[in-house]
Amino acid sequence: MKNFWRKSLGLGMTSLMVMSTLAACGDKTGGDGGVSTSGSGTGSSAASGSGTESGGSTTPSGEVLNLSMFIAMPGAEINDGENDIQKLIAEKTGVSVKETWLTGQTAAEAVGTIIASGTYPDLIDGGDGMVQLYDADLLVAWDDYIEKYPNLKNYYTPEEWDMFRQDDGHIYWCNVFQNTKGASTSTTHNDEAFWIQARVLAWDNYPKIETLDEYFDLLERYAAANPTTDDGMTVIPYTCLCDDWRYFCIENAPEFLDGYPNDGSVIVDKTDMNNPKIVDYNTTDTAKRYFQKLNEEYAKGIIDKEFATQTYDEYISKLSNGNVLGMCDQYWDFMTINDTFKQTGLDEKGCNFVPLGLTIDKGMDNRWHTYGDTLNNSSGVGVLTTNPDIEKTFEFLNAMLDQDIHNLRFWGVEGTDYLVDDQGLFYKTPEMRMQWADPSYQAKHRCVYSYLPQYGGTSDDGKNANLPEEQPSEFFQNLATPLQDCFNAYNVTTYPGMIGSIVEENAPWFPMWSFSNNLTTETPGGVAWTKMGQTKHEWLPKVVMSSNFESDWAKYMDAYNATNPQDFLDEMQQELDRRIGK
Amino acid sequence: MANRNNGSPRDAVITKKILYRQRVLIALAIVFVIYGIIFYYIPLGGWIMAFENYKPKTGLFGSKFVGLDKFKFLFSDKTFIQVIRNTFCMGLLNLIFPTTIFPIIFAILLNEMKSLGGKKAVQTISYLPHFLSWIIVTGILHDSLSNSGIVNEVLQKLGIIKDPISFFSEPKMFWWIVCFAHLWKEMGWNAIIYLSAISSIDPCLYEAASIDGAGRWGKIKHVTLPSLRPTIIVLLLMNMGFILNAGFEVQYLLGNGLVQSVSQTIDIYVLTWGVSQNDYSLGTAAGIFKSVVSVLIIVICNAVAKRSGEERLF
Amino acid sequence: MSNQMNGAPGAIRVTMTENKHNKTKTSDTIFHVVNAIIMIMICVVTLYPVLNTLALSFNDGVDAVRGGVHLIPRMFTWTNYSTVLNQKNITHGALISVIRTIVGTLLALAANALLAFVVAQKKFVFRSQLSLFWVITMYVNGGMIPILLLFQKLKLTNSFWVYVIPAMVGGFNMLVLRTYMEGLPDSLQEAAEIDGAGFMTIFLKVISPLCKPVYATIALFVAVGQWNSWFDTMLYNRMATEYTTLQYELMKLLSSVTSLKGNTGTTAPGQGVNITPLSVRSAATILTMAPIVMLYPFLQRYFVTGLTIGGVKE
Repeated sequence: MKNFWRKSLGLGMTSLMVMSTLAACGDKTGGDGGVSTSGSGTGSSAASGSGTESGGSTTPSGEVLNLSMFIAMPGAEINDGENDIQKLIAEKTGVSVKETWLTGQTAAEAVGTIIASGTYPDLIDGGDGMVQLYDADLLVAWDDYIEKYPNLKNYYTPEEWDMFRQDDGHIYWCNVFQNTKGASTSTTHNDEAFWIQARVLAWDNYPKIETLDEYFDLLERYAAANPTTDDGMTVIPYTCLCDDWRYFCIENAPEFLDGYPNDGSVIVDKTDMNNPKIVDYNTTDTAKRYFQKLNEEYAKGIIDKEFATQTYDEYISKLSNGNVLGMCDQYWDFMTINDTFKQTGLDEKGCNFVPLGLTIDKGMDNRWHTYGDTLNNSSGVGVLTTNPDIEKTFEFLNAMLDQDIHNLRFWGVEGTDYLVDDQGLFYKTPEMRMQWADPSYQAKHRCVYSYLPQYGGTSDDGKNANLPEEQPSEFFQNLATPLQDCFNAYNVTTYPGMIGSIVEENAPWFPMWSFSNNLTTETPGGVAWTKMGQTKHEWLPKVVMSSNFESDWAKYMDAYNATNPQDFLDEMQQELDRRIGK
Repeated sequence: MANRNNGSPRDAVITKKILYRQRVLIALAIVFVIYGIIFYYIPLGGWIMAFENYKPKTGLFGSKFVGLDKFKFLFSDKTFIQVIRNTFCMGLLNLIFPTTIFPIIFAILLNEMKSLGGKKAVQTISYLPHFLSWIIVTGILHDSLSNSGIVNEVLQKLGIIKDPISFFSEPKMFWWIVCFAHLWKEMGWNAIIYLSAISSIDPCLYEAASIDGAGRWGKIKHVTLPSLRPTIIVLLLMNMGFILNAGFEVQYLLGNGLVQSVSQTIDIYVLTWGVSQNDYSLGTAAGIFKSVVSVLIIVICNAVAKRSGEERLF
Repeated sequence: MSNQMNGAPGAIRVTMTENKHNKTKTSDTIFHVVNAIIMIMICVVTLYPVLNTLALSFNDGVDAVRGGVHLIPRMFTWTNYSTVLNQKNITHGALISVIRTIVGTLLALAANALLAFVVAQKKFVFRSQLSLFWVITMYVNGGMIPILLLFQKLKLTNSFWVYVIPAMVGGFNMLVLRTYMEGLPDSLQEAAEIDGAGFMTIFLKVISPLCKPVYATIALFVAVGQWNSWFDTMLYNRMATEYTTLQYELMKLLSSVTSLKGNTGTTAPGQGVNITPLSVRSAATILTMAPIVMLYPFLQRYFVTGLTIGGVKE
């Protein structure tokens, strides 16, 4: 009986998609830390209607060209045609974009149905479905327009643009995130780290914590001295999320503990710089030591008994209550708890988490934080061949990078959304900040066009950050007192400073995850990759909870090797060789 | 049998006359068949996707033909066999308890209630969870069954257990938890149809049973259940075909790495290996497998029902 | 059968009951008490998730993340509801939803009842084949993309009719209706036939009036399905804003809240934007449920008609 209206919906997979959307898009951003910090996903739009009626003709000057855009990520719509900043941008550029966001499907599936349906938008960011659009000959080649429009040309270096070339030698889309102009202003660490509550560090007079052993030692000592919190909750020294795709929280630390950067799926050993080698981080000594450490701590009761079965919601709820002292996670995955801390006043008690750049042994370099931009060439914004005015569309994309329009998108209207001080620095009053974050205000006023070309870093004036949340003055003042104390104690001003990763140029192949993310079951490596994931998901919690670590570790290794990881590693090596031009 | 023997020769003799007499029925049937062909049977042409490497660009009729590759992929994978077992077992539990037995018992007990107002209130309340999404229901269930949740708390207070039971890390319990989740959410809703059937039972039958000295149990046994029999059998037959549609969301939301060997269903498998990898063909292949098995189950069960003189679907 | 029983003299019945009265009184009371307890327990268990959702819908979203909100909101707010109700297109979406529910239900009821009537004709020559034809449609599915292509060819995409035309006839509804119709005494139709009534007259004047309980059941099922569905809107009318439904608008809102929370910069203050996916989902659920809960008592009348009569006569 429960199935009876499956038919009335005419679809088999209906209920399935509600969840998979979030899962799948998270999957892509999840494993790789490629989520942008570019403000909230507020959209924009044009006068209602699809906006594609104008056919193939060029828009007469003075008339606003209404374009439709599909973005294969969930996001918030704005009030079409009634949005202040959208109107201002349309006045300046002659173009207005109506954004439609992903609802209830995976990105790839949404793109697949759009291709099949024959009803196309004018612009698209299809996530990992971009290749499908290219395969279907639906995208306009950018090459000529890049030459014609200076902002676009300067958006990436020629080498970077080359990375977007498809097998026919042309460029069909352009990723709009992680692109720094001027000086890097990164104040946050949006990636993975072992995190610890600021008050734990304060309790031990801000010690220098460099290794996994020191980290757990501190957690143990603190928990022994403070078994309960002020409001009587039992302290959970360490928890570890294993829910669905978010099991990366337990899975990929060995890569970082060995001092390697976030290539995601593999370690690239560059001892021989001309001949880099792919290494599997799942089977290294470090991996075994790390899981053995977790196993010991679990037996001691330091690790949350329910870590393996907790859902994401339960995890967030635990963190929000302030009684979890530490965990390993990506910042974007848990940052919502900062709102709760602010509301409950726990931020002033030092419950906020700060990142630590741990390694397995003392004295190693760490690369938890990636300083440079991470170029993800596997997705981005593309223009469809059915677009009514391709020329004007590229002119518009170019204009998106003009500083005044960029400021309109991300800072808002001067005087209303931000003020300028004597030194020319932008700032927001608390009221402005509150208004800016209000969803109804966003709908009628803000127009970020968050999936169109944009910059991080500093503005043309050399003073202001392109994104308000990266304005250093704004940043430090908004930190809770214990965080400021902590930063001062370690003599740093930003989150990346806490981690202390070594500063270096990203390797030319970085990041390898942009390849493994797009592996499919059409290759043996892709099959192995999915199976490896499933095996790890089942076995890693098991070995941590095991009462006989050695024997269970051996069983895990057997199960792991049965998935043919070598197939995967071989394909990664091939891609690595391709990327360095071998 | 006797009827059939009588019937066949008669059919043969006066076919035209019968056809003429039933012309209205035949005309209606034709309209419904055309409708069915358009909306249900023509899309089945899409099944060719399972035999090719479907790409949106080349479409249904131009994609590369790969024969049985997709089916080979499925059936050579040990996990898929495991997944079929999980789907089947969860589907079966779901069919037995939340879809059939408990709704019937509930409908009968509700019918026995004296107070009409109470009856109405209970019924309205009982079907409300049907409108909650799985994510809400599983969230509450997860809460209640956690180490510090109400279930463990009660069991500990009653002295039944000493340490909290970790329900979700135990593969043996998973199917039952899913079964309970369905029961909780759908029992009242599934009972609606039985209540409707009970309401149509002629009250005189109960009177007659009373006269014959039947008590409450006797009336249920000799009047209610026999009257419900056609409904029960038809629904049972019909739902047997849905066994392999044991679902996606519940298992997905309640499962975790530790129990994935028992929690993954065919739909989850298709998501992992097909949908999220741009492979539409694999999902279609799994869909064909499910359809064929479902239709087989239905045809066999229908034949069994027919032989034992029960109500049947066709 | 039933006619004979109607003729049973009341006097005898009374005597019989009197005789048994004393013996059964105690066990009767025990039964009713136990039954009432069971019903109350079912109510408590099924009401809890609903009340919990209600409480969460009135609770500050960020606060609720901490857990521990059960039946009473901890930080009361209207924000969740105002967020949902301020969603653009929500009133227009609600209008479309109401229209599709009414039109869809009426069409589906008429079509399914007519088909069931044809299939329920015991003398109809193609009865079994027609049933099988529709039973199969319940278990086979051409898949999303072929159906999309078909609807596009039929000009059903970007139109209102995609909501009501393809979903009009369904195997399940047909079977439920058929089972019920077959349970009606043959003598009624035979009598009408002798009076010279045609099939359509019999359907409208003889069969349909007796089918109220099952019509109410099917109407409820179809209406709930129509009211709740959103995936078809997303798939077929994504770009046609004039036809988007309430549920689709709510789904859009929900996914946007998810992304809002996922992407907010660190400096976004907690105050003023305290909505979370959970809190918005709760409010949306309650708002969606309300019309159905209000509709139900009207339909419920038909489910309990029989019970009421039974109660009076006993």
